[in-house]
Amino acid sequence: MKTSHRKKIKLAFRYVAVIALTILFLFPIYWLFMISFKTANEIYAYPPVWWPETLQLSNYRVLFEDGDAATVGNSLIVAGVSTIFAMILGTICAYSLARFKTGGEHLANWIISQRMIPPIAIVFPVFLLYVWFGMVDTYFGLILLYTAFNLPYVIWMMRGYIMDIPISLEQAALVDGYTRWQVVWKVVFPMCRAGLFATAIFTFVFAWNDFIFALVLTRTDVATYTVQVTHYFGGQSNFWGKISAMSVLGTLPIFFIVAFMQKYLVRGISLGAVKG
Amino acid sequence: MKNKRPLSQLILGDRGFKYQLIAPSIFILLLIGIFPLIYTLLVSFQGITMMENDTSFHGLQNYIALGTDTRLWEALLHTIIFTCIALPIELLLGLLMAQLFIDKLPGRQIFVALLVLPVVVAPVVSGATWSLLLDTRFGPINQILGWFTGEEVTLLWTINPNLVYPSILAAEIWQWTPFMFLLLLAALSAVDKSQLEAASIDGAGYWTTFFKIVLPAIWPVMAVAILIRGLDLFRLFDIVWALTRGGPGTMTETISIFTYVKGFQQFETSYTGAVALLIIILLSVLVIGALKKVEIAR
Amino acid sequence: MHAVKGVDLEIPKGEFTVLVGQSGCGKSTLLRTIAGLEEIDEGSIEIDGEVVNDVAPKDRDIAMVFQNYALYPYMTVFDNIAFGLRARKTPNAEIEAKVAEASRMLSIDHLLERYPRQLSGGQLQRVAIGRAIVRQARIYLFDEPLSNLDAQLRDEMRGEIKRLHRELGKTMIYVTHDQIEAMTMADRIVLLRDGKIEQQGSPLDLYERPATKYVAGFLGSPSMNFIDGMVTENKVTINNSNHSLDIPEQLKNKLTSYANKQIIVGIRPEHFSRADIANHQQHSKLSVNIELVQPTGSRSYVTFRLGQNSAVAELRPQDLLGHNTTIELSVDMSRVIYIDPITEMTI
Repeated sequence: MKTSHRKKIKLAFRYVAVIALTILFLFPIYWLFMISFKTANEIYAYPPVWWPETLQLSNYRVLFEDGDAATVGNSLIVAGVSTIFAMILGTICAYSLARFKTGGEHLANWIISQRMIPPIAIVFPVFLLYVWFGMVDTYFGLILLYTAFNLPYVIWMMRGYIMDIPISLEQAALVDGYTRWQVVWKVVFPMCRAGLFATAIFTFVFAWNDFIFALVLTRTDVATYTVQVTHYFGGQSNFWGKISAMSVLGTLPIFFIVAFMQKYLVRGISLGAVKG
Repeated sequence: MKNKRPLSQLILGDRGFKYQLIAPSIFILLLIGIFPLIYTLLVSFQGITMMENDTSFHGLQNYIALGTDTRLWEALLHTIIFTCIALPIELLLGLLMAQLFIDKLPGRQIFVALLVLPVVVAPVVSGATWSLLLDTRFGPINQILGWFTGEEVTLLWTINPNLVYPSILAAEIWQWTPFMFLLLLAALSAVDKSQLEAASIDGAGYWTTFFKIVLPAIWPVMAVAILIRGLDLFRLFDIVWALTRGGPGTMTETISIFTYVKGFQQFETSYTGAVALLIIILLSVLVIGALKKVEIAR
Repeated sequence: MHAVKGVDLEIPKGEFTVLVGQSGCGKSTLLRTIAGLEEIDEGSIEIDGEVVNDVAPKDRDIAMVFQNYALYPYMTVFDNIAFGLRARKTPNAEIEAKVAEASRMLSIDHLLERYPRQLSGGQLQRVAIGRAIVRQARIYLFDEPLSNLDAQLRDEMRGEIKRLHRELGKTMIYVTHDQIEAMTMADRIVLLRDGKIEQQGSPLDLYERPATKYVAGFLGSPSMNFIDGMVTENKVTINNSNHSLDIPEQLKNKLTSYANKQIIVGIRPEHFSRADIANHQQHSKLSVNIELVQPTGSRSYVTFRLGQNSAVAELRPQDLLGHNTTIELSVDMSRVIYIDPITEMTI
């Protein structure tokens, strides 16, 4: 058969496969969202209802009324602030490693090794420390932890991005009379904007989606949405309406970020692998 | 025009400056990384349990207890099983998916953006979602299975010992295959097209081209992907916690869940310290070993 | 948007045909279509009388040398060259022999165990060529193979490839944007412009009898001078000057329709010579002001103004002894070409 025909058939097959895969992967998310809009009757209906009669916001209302929705706010504060700290401190540290090779291979290796420690091994001693200092269930405590846990990643990634920037720009700025600090803020940061965005997104999403650290280090004041979701799992039955609504509340912001920053996210993952 | 600096200083760099830059980061890392670890080390040599706050020196007592703790080693085994099943499947599926996307495909960006969504969902939420899907009576999975078998399906996905592993694996693979897919898509796109063309002119078939040209070219990225996911799988906690809490019994208890239970439910502080240290040592050995292999391959 | 449109081309067997033109003229696309790497929307390709539109590249019995070498980085030089033979399940003994012969021909037999990353540009190119010739295909395609090499290597490799063609006697189709490569290597040049064939023929054909202004200006370095003028009586009066060029007898008829009309005269730099030295009937004389002299050692290129145009003449160094500000030049009118300013075709 003509190659052009063969190609068209191949394309059709590929399309079918791609669509099937997309449906398969998106179905759980669809289900989650859909449940959050159902009434209790529909949720516990048998056989399961695939499309709610009407889109109900009652599950969400309950969360707001009970004040549980505030946990999303906690997540925002904790993830947001820790990301900013990690990005700033981490990037300048990365600059030092990239340009001055501070600490040489040993420091770089030690830093990346910090990222490889499993959270459970870190969270336990940190918990003991926090109890001692009374930092359990505080914003400061959780922010500090997320910042610390994200620093190695930020340092590693930004070091790679900075090394890709030609040093001549900074040298030109120095000759022009900028101080070294100014060079960092005014030349380096703007130049690696793309890398900053990608890394910041990752850092934020990691802190936002974290569960185990929040589980251990928060109680009632600073509970993040991830912890809150698990509160609705009961021994006898689960409050599916609340679970799904809370999950959606916590997931939607990330979806928006991904939608707007999709380009950076994809680039970040692929470049991250290459630099890692 | 701000302060003019002597040329010699420009060239030699500002010695204090570079340390200023790393100081805050190192400080925080030490604070959260090193000091707690040292504290844990100390605690692991003591005898703090739920009952008593015995801070006397107990020697290697806790560490010896590690050796005979079957629950611990079972947890390790569970973790290894999860890793060894999920990782290859994610890799293979991700590779297949990437192959699908590699040629021209109208609307590719949209599909990629959609397929990435599972990755950015919180693992806890992923576990919760699959709990929903796998619910015995109200979940669509059983319903769909029922369509195929023609009769009512009431599989207890999160309770039946034969089904808990597939359940957890389903949630895990669902969430992370797109990650592999993205990575491998990037790697495949970076393969030099003219090499592939030369191979097609030379007469190489599909598989020869794949194994001899494509695979060696994407191996560096694959190795990193395996390392990252392997590490993450070792720390498996959220998904299992949301689906089974490590149950039934301790059947799906991963090493992280075991540690959590010991430390935060049974409050065996000193023992948990020893466990934590054991995990760190084990992981370090694995990672160093893996890194050495990657270095050699390069 | 078509890269190549309406091309009717016949390439004789055993010849070295060069497809040449500026970037984007479609020459690479044409080559890749012959290779089977690009699809044809309309028309057909025949090799040895057999229509190959739907035949896969590997079944067309062709070999190709790429601009960026396209060598397999994870295989040794030997494996790279042997790759095609292995793919066709050639017995090992035969592979050994053929690779040895090809590598000897290209003087790379001492590099067989090395990896591509250890080789220089010139060596890489030879390996790429080796990979192509070892299969003894019926057509060899070259896609700008020398563009990535420095000037000296390029000169060397040009000769090597030409020598190879003599030794192997196979049909070779060679794509380049470099007109020097085209001139020195081709049995036959096909000059492409915007997806169409502007002119084809032997190098000297195109050089001395260009069909259009584009062809005339493309070949030759420095390029041909185009002088605007008007045909009056039996001369061409150069615009904005009081110079004029005599039209030779045999061409007067050709230009009768251009009486009192604008015309473009194409004079190659080598058509100029110092007036008092050359003394043929067909020479017109001009007295010009020198603006710039660029000596290359064996020749000197003199830039001067001729009417509203700038022109370059190629003279011998001794023609310019002393600091001259003016010089008397004569033009060999028997070799000059005339171009219609509107159609841009040679008259």
